[in-house]
Amino acid sequence: MKMADVIQMNYMLIPVIHRFGIELGFGDKTVDQVCEENEVDLNFFLQLVNAYHDQDYFPKEELQSIPVREIVAYLKMTHASYLNNTVTDIEQKIKSLELEGNEDKKYIALIRNFFEGYKSELTEHIMREEDVVFPYVLAVDEIIKSEQFTDKNKKVFESFSIEEYEEEHDDVEEKLMDLRTIMIKYVAPPANTNLYHSIIQDLFRLEEDLNYHSRIEDKVLIPKIILMEKSIKNLF
Amino acid sequence: MPRISIIIAESTCLIRKGLSAVIQKLGNVEILQSVSNKVELCDIVNRLKPDILIANSNMLDSDCEDLKKHFITANKMSLVLISEDKSIEDKYNADAFIHYKDNQSKILDVLEEIVNRKAEKKRTNKSNETLSSREQNILKHIALGLTNKEIADQLFISIHTVVTHRKNITQKLGIKSVSGLTVYAILNNLITMDEVK
Repeated sequence: MKMADVIQMNYMLIPVIHRFGIELGFGDKTVDQVCEENEVDLNFFLQLVNAYHDQDYFPKEELQSIPVREIVAYLKMTHASYLNNTVTDIEQKIKSLELEGNEDKKYIALIRNFFEGYKSELTEHIMREEDVVFPYVLAVDEIIKSEQFTDKNKKVFESFSIEEYEEEHDDVEEKLMDLRTIMIKYVAPPANTNLYHSIIQDLFRLEEDLNYHSRIEDKVLIPKIILMEKSIKNLF
Repeated sequence: MPRISIIIAESTCLIRKGLSAVIQKLGNVEILQSVSNKVELCDIVNRLKPDILIANSNMLDSDCEDLKKHFITANKMSLVLISEDKSIEDKYNADAFIHYKDNQSKILDVLEEIVNRKAEKKRTNKSNETLSSREQNILKHIALGLTNKEIADQLFISIHTVVTHRKNITQKLGIKSVSGLTVYAILNNLITMDEVK
């Protein structure tokens, strides 16, 4: 299949391929060719795109062969792009709306406060993943590969379990949904309706993207680590 | 869509079972219970509060008027009567009638209409209503950052009641988080911005 056709089918994949370092303008090249040129693991790319595209997609055998490092690296890139681009962009838009306003200023300030609250919640969530979950996942991977414990990875391995993560992996999207509900149902739009509308559309897109993102964590990363935990227990 | 609950009251086993089987073909409904004993009927209806009661007229006979008054209006329940002949349509005041000789599609048509009407009502009741003054008061306390326990103590109600109110508020407004509810409360002048910490 041509890479261009994949993107035509689902424009939400544009930021996804960007995170892989793949830039648009690939002409008629196939997915295979584009991945090879950009040194992207083809199998992982396919699993990812499928999981993004189809909510019920669940890779079984393919799961085994995806390198954990690749998944973690990808998730980290996604986190960075949320915090550095998407969320910051929305924040900027809300701020400029606030600067323009006169009588609506009070309401926009409310929205800005709310969004800032959301942003710190999301940041906290991401930090927890990067500081605790990912190091754990990489330690598990290292143990499996070397088939032995070192002092360091043993400590990490015993300090956490993926089950813990699965339980606490609550949806950070709740606040986001509330914000758009409030903006749609309960606030009269300010004079600059274009900007206001574009903020709402951004919120929808961010929410959708976050949903995709958590699906990768829940359906690809977690099941894989559960399998690995089991085989570590069998090994020793 | 909310599910519509049904109770069937019919003494004849054949009709009871047959009607259940036909009703299963309607989506979005559940049969709470089938009642064959006239004496138990009042209690069961009162306890389970179904959306629709499908009853044979011989299960109600002289008590029918009572039943109508007490349950049907109080519970906003619809009544469908089953009978052998059409003459009962003049005798009783029900929302719909099913006759022994009706074929399956006729029965389904009759029931479907009632179920749809009920479902529609349920939906609009839940989502379009504005908050009651009690709920507004609770929302105000939530927005001020009080816990369920604190709200219960201040308003002299049980925690369970507070939780129920919260559920209803969230359902009506479509807002789940406390900070979202706070913004709503400010927008609707239930509290001022200065009151929020």
